[in-house]
Amino acid sequence: MGQRIIVDPLTRIEGHLKIEVEVENGVVKDAWSTGSMFRGLETLLVKRDPRDATYVTERVCGVCAGSHGTASSFALDQAFGAKVPTGGRLLRNLILGAMWLHDHPLHFYHLSALDYIDVMKVAEYKGNDPGLLAVKDKIVKLATAGDTAPLTPRYQPDEFSVTDPELVTTAVAHYIKALEMQAKAKKMSAIFAGKQPHQSSIVVGGVTVFPKVEAIATFASMLEEQISFIENVYVKDVLTFGTGPLLKLAQLGVGAGHGHYMTYGGFPIDDKGTTFFKSGVIFDNDFAHVQKLDASKIYEDVKHSWYKSASHLHPSKGETEADTSKDAYSFIKSPRYDGKPMEVGPLARMLVEGNETLMGLVKQYNIKPGAVARHAARAIETVKLANEMRLWVEQLKEELGKGIRIHDTDHWEPPTTGEGAGLTEAPRGALGHWISVKDGLTANYQMVVPSTWNFGPRDDKEVRGPIEQALIGTPVPDVNNPINVARVVRSYDPCISCAVHLIDPTSNEIRKFQIG
Amino acid sequence: MNSPLDLLRARGVSRRDFMKLCAAVTAAMGLPAAMEPEVAKAVEAGIKKPAVIWLEGQDCAGCSESTIATLNPSAAEVVLDMLSLRYHETIMAGTGDVARKAFEDTVKEGKYVLVVEGSIPKENDKFCVIGGKPFRQHVEEAAKNAAVILAIGSCAAYGGIPGATPSKGVGVGEIVKDKPIINLPSCPVKPSRLIGTIVYYLTFKKAPELDNVGRPKAFYSNNIHENCPRRGQFESGHFLNDWNDPQQADWCLLLKGCKGPKTFADCGQVWWNDNVNYCINAGSPCAGCSQPEFYKEFSPLYKKQEMFSLPGVGQVNPDTVGKIVAGATAVGIAAHLGGSAVSGRLGNDHKSKEVSK
Repeated sequence: MGQRIIVDPLTRIEGHLKIEVEVENGVVKDAWSTGSMFRGLETLLVKRDPRDATYVTERVCGVCAGSHGTASSFALDQAFGAKVPTGGRLLRNLILGAMWLHDHPLHFYHLSALDYIDVMKVAEYKGNDPGLLAVKDKIVKLATAGDTAPLTPRYQPDEFSVTDPELVTTAVAHYIKALEMQAKAKKMSAIFAGKQPHQSSIVVGGVTVFPKVEAIATFASMLEEQISFIENVYVKDVLTFGTGPLLKLAQLGVGAGHGHYMTYGGFPIDDKGTTFFKSGVIFDNDFAHVQKLDASKIYEDVKHSWYKSASHLHPSKGETEADTSKDAYSFIKSPRYDGKPMEVGPLARMLVEGNETLMGLVKQYNIKPGAVARHAARAIETVKLANEMRLWVEQLKEELGKGIRIHDTDHWEPPTTGEGAGLTEAPRGALGHWISVKDGLTANYQMVVPSTWNFGPRDDKEVRGPIEQALIGTPVPDVNNPINVARVVRSYDPCISCAVHLIDPTSNEIRKFQIG
Repeated sequence: MNSPLDLLRARGVSRRDFMKLCAAVTAAMGLPAAMEPEVAKAVEAGIKKPAVIWLEGQDCAGCSESTIATLNPSAAEVVLDMLSLRYHETIMAGTGDVARKAFEDTVKEGKYVLVVEGSIPKENDKFCVIGGKPFRQHVEEAAKNAAVILAIGSCAAYGGIPGATPSKGVGVGEIVKDKPIINLPSCPVKPSRLIGTIVYYLTFKKAPELDNVGRPKAFYSNNIHENCPRRGQFESGHFLNDWNDPQQADWCLLLKGCKGPKTFADCGQVWWNDNVNYCINAGSPCAGCSQPEFYKEFSPLYKKQEMFSLPGVGQVNPDTVGKIVAGATAVGIAAHLGGSAVSGRLGNDHKSKEVSK
């Protein structure tokens, strides 16, 4: 007989998420995930000027800001027949890349780290580092004043929590430093984007910002500051934790999923569509055999989702008509690739490209795919991207020197008819937007976002969605303190307001599960 | 009992930092510099960190992300030194039961600053449920004991983009009728406006002066178009058509759909992200995100505007601008008419034509 635990709201993620697990003998036996917010942005776009889509879908998420605007612009470029000039491509990459540099460290320090460190151990710091003493002083004073929100209250630290005062104090110091760096990364993006979050520069056909020499120079110097932080602080911390106090968690592979990974590829690096992050598919943890992605193999099942539409529809033909009379438990659909539930995100990206740093760590420390490996992959790809951005800045300078073009103005007006698919990578994983244009207006718009892949329910064949599978076996020795559940869920960096298509007004009853 | 200054020092805030903050706030709220000592005195007197409940409804976390994009004061100062952030789903350590209890305890305690991000789905409560409870109910419960209510971002202020969807998102003012709401619209909220308003409230224990749609006048009195750095180009009849042309790079964006003439905000004066840029400076037409009309009545956002409304003049087409602008100024183009355009059309026999370079 299992015991059911509901974690609702699951905080420190984007959107509203409820996680329900069944625990037996101290481990998770079964799991269900539910999103609980609906805005209906796709419906809003229908019968409007298609160009509004880049602006509106940008607002799907304020954390992966830039990602939806980019995916949307890719879909619209295709539908409009626009050819984005080199300058436009580079500026889009830099605007978006800077937001990735903001996003990944923020996920580690501000959304995840509090699950792993026992913050109050700062009080026991005995060293002489002036920076760390200042942090100790600050936290102790907050505690003396009786006000440590938002660092407390929290779940109780457990056997996996980092308690070494020096490590904890360093982590808290970096939590504060990372707050500054994420703000600076947004500022950097805004140099070309207008503002962040919710940039306005990326539109169909390219970008609106004509880059000035001084702006490029400022961007370049801010990039160096980011690279220094990423290499000397962020990556170091992730590796220190992952191969130190969290090694046991890493070796146990807590939070491993089905072992199927998928990437669409992201950041075009030439004008032929070659991407910096590669596309590819891995089945059953067979990392040596990365297969070619065939986007026609994507479909969405709806057996356990409250939808009327048929299962097995490709997103370009997607429908979202609700039906709550059927026995289902989620408003997120179950996307599948070639019949399999796929994990998307940093771990998928680094496995698909066979990243040497990650593979080296996996071998050296006997780490299994799981929550800790996800954090490592995220840090490793941040370094990779940040260094590549240096090259893009140089290429942008060259373009400027030879009469840069940033926009395909000949294809600015909407076509009478057109179809487009924008497949790319968001920080959280494979992101797809599909548009069809009729009579110069948007006729249909569909998004399948990373968290739909990661947080979808069981499919028509009763196979669990990736997060549901990843939670199986997670240790929960104390049902009143399900901290490992939160760790596993957050390792995916969920973005739930993107993932939920629709909640039917007639019934939002939480499904009553059969237990035991 | 600690003195206010002890409390301040206890939080690791130096006297110098404190005075800097007071100066910034005084300036941000449009108060004369001579008032700085008064602001400092008032802040010192009420220095206890205010408890904050920050609710997220039909949102994207963009306003939270924008708030922590602040560099002066820094995000750490705001999150750790300035506010006692008791409930904020994206930032707080607690989750599940622990989070819910933090919310309930703070509501019981009362007299907190309530910040709402995201709209409330008017079509049906079930479109936004958190911790098993409709978001509308969270807002109502939290509003009851709040000392002050801030609706931040376009969604919480007026419904914003969700307001144009089948979920019919509405702002806090449509749900909470018995208390004043300070609206801080724009998509997302601009950190200087949010922080400035909170500090103003803590200092003077009252809301700043608001306009007729609930926005602090200090931040929302300037018409984007009237104060646009590209205003001279507009008067010369220079309208951007091709983003690739360096010569057109700072031309007027009206032909790209700019809603500047219908929009009031300080974007042109205090730029975004630590003053580094704003939409129009990046060549993007203003979408009017700080107006109640956003998004529904401002869509389509990028369509070429054959005719557009000019405050104080009414409908004009781009072709006539160069000719009539001197006269228009006389009619009162800079007269702060609160967005209400004089009706009528000028030069309606002029055909709009694209401006070529």
